[in-house]
Amino acid sequence: MTRFRPAGEAVWEAPASGGMRVPGRVFASEGLFRAAAEDRALEQVVNVAHLPGIVRASFAMPDIHWGYGFPIGGVAATDVAAGGVVSPGGVGFDICCGVRLIGSDLTVDDLRPRLEAVMARLDAAIPRGLGKGAATGRRLIHDVLARGARAAVDAGIGTTHDLERCEEGGSASGAEPDLLSERAVERGSGQLGSLGAGNHFLEVQVVERVVDLEAAAGFGLFTGMVCVMIHCGSRGLGHQTCTDHVKSMGPAMKRHGIEVPDRQLASVPVLSEEGERYLGAMAASANFAWANRHILAEATRGAFAAGLGRPVEMPLIYDVAHNLAKLEEHVVDRRPRRLCVHRKGATRAVGPGHRTLPDDLRAIGQPVLIPGSMGTASWVLGGVEGNPAFDSAAHGAGRAMSRTQAKKQSSGRQVLDDLESQQIAVRPGSVSLLSEEAPYAYKDVDEVVRVCGITGLARPVARLRPIGVVKG
Amino acid sequence: MAKRYEALPHTADAAFIAYGDTLEEVFENAAFAMFDMVFDLSGASGRHTRPVVADGDTPEELLVAWLNELLAESETRGLAFSRFGVDRLEEGGVQGWAGGDPVDELPLIGAPVKAATHHDLAIVEIPHGWWARVVLDV
Repeated sequence: MTRFRPAGEAVWEAPASGGMRVPGRVFASEGLFRAAAEDRALEQVVNVAHLPGIVRASFAMPDIHWGYGFPIGGVAATDVAAGGVVSPGGVGFDICCGVRLIGSDLTVDDLRPRLEAVMARLDAAIPRGLGKGAATGRRLIHDVLARGARAAVDAGIGTTHDLERCEEGGSASGAEPDLLSERAVERGSGQLGSLGAGNHFLEVQVVERVVDLEAAAGFGLFTGMVCVMIHCGSRGLGHQTCTDHVKSMGPAMKRHGIEVPDRQLASVPVLSEEGERYLGAMAASANFAWANRHILAEATRGAFAAGLGRPVEMPLIYDVAHNLAKLEEHVVDRRPRRLCVHRKGATRAVGPGHRTLPDDLRAIGQPVLIPGSMGTASWVLGGVEGNPAFDSAAHGAGRAMSRTQAKKQSSGRQVLDDLESQQIAVRPGSVSLLSEEAPYAYKDVDEVVRVCGITGLARPVARLRPIGVVKG
Repeated sequence: MAKRYEALPHTADAAFIAYGDTLEEVFENAAFAMFDMVFDLSGASGRHTRPVVADGDTPEELLVAWLNELLAESETRGLAFSRFGVDRLEEGGVQGWAGGDPVDELPLIGAPVKAATHHDLAIVEIPHGWWARVVLDV
């Protein structure tokens, strides 16, 4: 798209024109920008700039790629008092999809001799794949929808420290479980405590390199430490909730006189009955997602203890969502405003001193979790002050290749063999699906992280490499 | 019609164009496409049938609602659908059925679909038939 022009180091901007209410602004190196320009992601950045009430810019993170409605990596904040809208498409079907990182008192040398045993236990303990499985019973679900991971802790699963190190304490405010459709609850009932499939995973990782010693120590990370990263979301319950609300917002948009360039950008004012209903249902779905990752983390701890034959300390480093809309206060044009911040494939990244951080992280900033592809690396970054995109950063490496193309390049079996030759133990739910998620299908996560650093989105803290992968 | 659908490239998700002599057939073939991209349906019997009902104001809204209803039905019943019939397609609603096999009886060949989206959605009448383009979130 020709209308984007360089606007600073690793920043590209499309001035507002036509129906755009704000500029489009993309944080990307030349290479990452060129990749984004190859499909329709930039057009989607421009489309989002049309949303009523949007302020400052329609942003895209360095891992931007073509989504449906919003680009993946899109961030848009709307001014609630100025008729700002909430868009379910700006959250996505997998509401509160996010990443949880658990540390341990193990070094890679401690684990290596027992890695196969731990992987076998994880293979058995982590329900994944299609719809099925749940690490816990169904009775918890209603409490979970209202109170998130807090309900799981009260039921004896995990610890209160897990809640302190989770965004929102693992419990979204304003959750209205009664606003979820029966269909949504039916889909979610058997799925609490399950990973799902696609790009979701559980990885055993090792802290390979620390680049910010002070922050790493504050987060609880050290070189050689074994960690577990879990990437998943709200499963069928979230998918159904988004489906329900995108559908009902069609007629509602007409009533509110809202027009958008893409039907998937369906949106209504935050301060409307439909807007409030969506936010209440979204928060209940977010609670499901936080409890889901919390329960999977506890299952992981059990698998490690069983595989090692002894108890292991595995404290939560952090849990953060990358598909969510949140009501937050930000200063825009020197005035504090209540904004509805949509992060669609973008990680919340608040800097030091932020009031939402627990005491032990307040001086350092929030851990920002950026998973890479399964054969390469993932990163932990730290939130910084003065983030230019409403406290948001990238959420992954970003896909570079379609699933069809990835499957053509090699078979799932070849990808499995390649990973195992790199000493990465893989426990796939389906071998044939591995090629869709092969490392070559993704962009370079190190480049994405470098751009986050130079553009002031977040500062790199530690690089983690995988030694074990559990996939759906 | 020989070709029921064609997969289209999409960086992160999945997309297809479904064909049909009639609008009803496009709905059936779009449903087939959505499951055929995820499961190897070559050995499917489609023996477990379920009624499928969806509503929507326009043909496009109806198509998305029909596909999403099939996804919900598939997930809650644990069935991978391979046979489809549209009995009634009219303004405001679609009624039909789907026949499937238990999901663990069919090989998985693609990432499961989260939802059918409205992005880039199109239904077009052509000489002697119709086609529809759908983007799926996977």
